[in-house]
Amino acid sequence: MKTTSAALRFNISTECKITKARSAVMKLPHYDVKTPVFMPVGTQGTMKGLLPEQLENLDCEIILGNTYHLGNRPGTDVLEKAGGLHKFMGWNRALLTDSGGFQMVSLLQLAEITEEGVKFKSPYDGSETMLTPERSIEIQNSIGADIIMQLDDVVQTTNQNYERNKEASERTSRWLDRCLKAHKRPTEQSIFPIVQGLLNNTLREQSAKEHMTKDVNGFAIGGLSGGEAKDDFWPMVSLSTGILDKNKPRYLMGVGVAIDLVVCVALGVDMFDCVFPTRTARFGCALVNKGQLSLKQKKYETDLNPIDKDCTCSTCLNYTRAYLHSIVTVETVSCHLLSVHNIAYQMRLMRTMRENIENGTFPAFVQQFVNEVYPNGQYPTWVVNSLSSVGINLCHL
Amino acid sequence: MRFNIKQVNCGSERIGSLTGFIKSSKTIIETPTAALLTQGCSVVHLTAEVLAKVFPDTQLLWLPLSNSVQLENGVKAQGEGVAKFAGLPKHVICATLYNINEIVPPGHFELGKLPLWTKNGKKMITADKYMDLMETFKPDIILAASDGRISLNEKPKRIVKSVERTMALLDSCINKYKASEELQQSSLVGVIVAANIPHKCEECIRHILKYKETLVGVALAGLTDGSKESYEVSLDKLKEIFSRVGGSLPNDLLRIVEGSWNPAVIVTAIEHGWDVFDGSYPIKLTNKGHALSLNFDVYRYSGDPCIMDLNDIRYNEDFKPILEGCECLTCKKHTRAYIRHLLNTREMLASVLLSIHNLHHFNEFFVQARLHISASTFNIYKKHIITQYENINPKLDNEEDKTAPTLVQDKKKIKVRIGDNVKTEVNGTIIK
Repeated sequence: MKTTSAALRFNISTECKITKARSAVMKLPHYDVKTPVFMPVGTQGTMKGLLPEQLENLDCEIILGNTYHLGNRPGTDVLEKAGGLHKFMGWNRALLTDSGGFQMVSLLQLAEITEEGVKFKSPYDGSETMLTPERSIEIQNSIGADIIMQLDDVVQTTNQNYERNKEASERTSRWLDRCLKAHKRPTEQSIFPIVQGLLNNTLREQSAKEHMTKDVNGFAIGGLSGGEAKDDFWPMVSLSTGILDKNKPRYLMGVGVAIDLVVCVALGVDMFDCVFPTRTARFGCALVNKGQLSLKQKKYETDLNPIDKDCTCSTCLNYTRAYLHSIVTVETVSCHLLSVHNIAYQMRLMRTMRENIENGTFPAFVQQFVNEVYPNGQYPTWVVNSLSSVGINLCHL
Repeated sequence: MRFNIKQVNCGSERIGSLTGFIKSSKTIIETPTAALLTQGCSVVHLTAEVLAKVFPDTQLLWLPLSNSVQLENGVKAQGEGVAKFAGLPKHVICATLYNINEIVPPGHFELGKLPLWTKNGKKMITADKYMDLMETFKPDIILAASDGRISLNEKPKRIVKSVERTMALLDSCINKYKASEELQQSSLVGVIVAANIPHKCEECIRHILKYKETLVGVALAGLTDGSKESYEVSLDKLKEIFSRVGGSLPNDLLRIVEGSWNPAVIVTAIEHGWDVFDGSYPIKLTNKGHALSLNFDVYRYSGDPCIMDLNDIRYNEDFKPILEGCECLTCKKHTRAYIRHLLNTREMLASVLLSIHNLHHFNEFFVQARLHISASTFNIYKKHIITQYENINPKLDNEEDKTAPTLVQDKKKIKVRIGDNVKTEVNGTIIK
């Protein structure tokens, strides 16, 4: 156990006796974050119309910013002069930034990847920029998030080309060394390596083992949640958590749908991020255990219930489905209201899981949750298999 | 609802109070004041949670039917009025036909029917239908249906027509009102048009005064159709109108002015005894990325502009609040640089932060106006405010609000596919 760095201390409070789930407190320079945790994504230094104090009221303890976007606008000069992103956006709790590498996949037509780094054509002004591991860390040092990500060589998860996958996975490890070397603020910020290897067992195992040899405070599991089959997804998560140090936090990138969160917590993941809750809010969808309500539907026009009668968020306390129906996707206020509810939903789910882990009732909670999501008892194979791999054998009640 | 005048000064500026509201019997709203503009009965850009942080007390909300008519079935199902339905149960509603900031096509009248431009296109409504909706919405104040959305520059023929329509619509509204005990819970306001043609305007006022015992007040419309050109009226001209029309009204009627008029115009109206303004001005500024920064210290005016364009690159590294000393949530916590970044990246929080500041500051402008009326120093305050507007680039004040919905029937949701991100455009704010 050597997570004693000033930048991150990870104190496990309870481990589930059956599954690989655990609850912990991750002490970061700006906040003590209770895990398992979901981190809402605030790409450009703001969470889709919500005030920082609304996020605090929602119990958000850590949120995510995107290095690629922030490096472009407002740029590192402004962020440094402001004293970092925390001060710039008025957020006093913890922050995590990605490396900017993920935008390689989404903007691939604009990028060329070499050993040196990623050459981008700026979509803003067309100028060419090189994002090297060193530059990524330099930008992230300016942003000043509590946890920062190494630059990784990102390949589309469903890419079948073994050679490309191998190259990317190995390059990611080489880039990790360059990132660690370039890191200027190791006592204030922790770099997480990213386990790559897509859906290949051997490559992923090598990647995880290689990263284990480094002096780091936590790990990210990347290259997943990119359109692969769920049956291919969960074994990669399980393989990764099986190798990574139990005493350090594990962050599964890009996962945020409720059932995925429950399964992956059982597989031993501590941190998640995803744009899904806030993105789906903008399309008029509200999250509930049974999936989501598309509030545009005519059937909600006179439905005087709140989105979820058990939810205590300010949206559910003040507003009916009928009212939301009448303004959804028309007024900006509807986006704010649904973002509040959807973030509250994610936070409540994570809090419920932490409480159940601490009370020793996590497996029973999982069973009950799965029944609620699939009330007809038709559980997807991947849910059955993944949970059975950690000792939960689902039975329909 | 009742309107009582507490103090009238020699300049005829006055302090009054609105009391006896349907749901908030203890609420007192002091005038002169501005309402808060709503869309879909939510204060523009602000949820109930955020509104409560900005204004903990009961507020007067301005409810245009053009953007709230789609609430009808929901409100009816709940049966407790539109404020409660929209999650704002303790607030007080003043309902009218249109949002003056929306640009709509001219004309389209039919006999006895008015066009209501909604997000789903044109709806023709009669005065009866309007009053039926009011019976469902249960606002505290109802502005009678009118043909008031015309500019002072309109041709006389059009203005004369608007007087005819407005008078006929008032008759219908009054008949419906008198026939319904439910409607009589709300207070009715008559609408004055044709301010530019004195004898027609007097005819309109005489007609309204026939119903004086039934009405709580009057609203002055027909000054603007919402277009940029219609706001290009000299202050002297408006002053003449406020003075002449105000002078021909009995004192005990509440006087409302419709339109996104700037504080220089508003102090001029207040001076002539006008009490309530529709609150569309701060929203217009917010939607352009502008912040109101009036100086209220009548003895110390630095010459700083009273409107700031936060889109300007000069604020890129400016870590000061919008207005030093401002007590609003935005100024206590956020910087010009951050708001400029949010505008630059078209993030929704820009509108939220600007709204919080602009609404707070606009309200403060009225608080100060009332203090000066009480202290009989209103004339100094009025000059102080007008000077600030004389010193700014007029473009800043009356630049077109590019996000204002134009031709509402075309304002359906626009989806643009950019890379992997589907962007949805809502009210001109790109939602990613």
